Amino acid sequence: MIVELKGILTPYTEQAESLENLSEETDFIKDLQINSANLVDVVLDVEEKFGIEIDNDSMAKMLTVKAAIEIVETKLAESGR
Amino acid sequence: MVGNDLVDLQLARSQSNWRRPGYLRKICSEEEQHMIIMAPEPTAMLWLLWSMKESAYKVLNRNTGKREYNPSGLVCSELKVNQSEATGNVSYGDNVIFVKTEISDQRIYSVAAQTVIVFEGLTSYHMHNTSGYMDKFSRARPGYILQKNISGLPVVVELHTGRNLAASVSHHGRYLAVTYSGSLLSTD
Repeated sequence: MIVELKGILTPYTEQAESLENLSEETDFIKDLQINSANLVDVVLDVEEKFGIEIDNDSMAKMLTVKAAIEIVETKLAESGR
Repeated sequence: MVGNDLVDLQLARSQSNWRRPGYLRKICSEEEQHMIIMAPEPTAMLWLLWSMKESAYKVLNRNTGKREYNPSGLVCSELKVNQSEATGNVSYGDNVIFVKTEISDQRIYSVAAQTVIVFEGLTSYHMHNTSGYMDKFSRARPGYILQKNISGLPVVVELHTGRNLAASVSHHGRYLAVTYSGSLLSTD
């Protein structure tokens, strides 16, 4: 899943090194310096890519790669996939 | 604490497509979405509300240390908008933050605080967005030094009193702005 996330994050960051070394610990704002108005795009792209809907409570936590993976896995499991 | 947020409208145009389906719903209440759609200049209204929310979030985040990405939970109310300025409140749960915004065709700039006294004692300083901004600020404002505290948050040191004044820095595109309180001290 981290490969798919990397693809989604690429257009929104200029931090090539952090992107190259993307790990579960990577922070979207602190490490990738994604503009906060573009975090919405990340959430929408993740929704489209995985065919899920991310509610506001989940979105509130989606600040790291680890959190994003957990949210996607939970939503996929809830929908029986 | 104090907060500020700046939007370079030129960069925002190329960086964000807010008309993308689902975008507004993720960041705005239904009432705010309505205000944007009905506004004479919807893009300016969107970034006005956005920067109000962001500046208020900074105040809350620095009070609680809690990081969250919940823009639609930060609700703008009591909004008064004219050509060059807006004021309003941003609510988050039981918290109410006072926000004031400057509007031009190039940028939107908001400052926020949780009490009227702090709010009225805020000073903002506008600069170009460059990496040496801390030194430049300190040279341009004799008697004040902008630095980062141990948590990495900005603080303005008032040299003649030695006070560490609560501060916030926002940068986007071409612009950078520092705001600091005349009364509220940085707590960390």
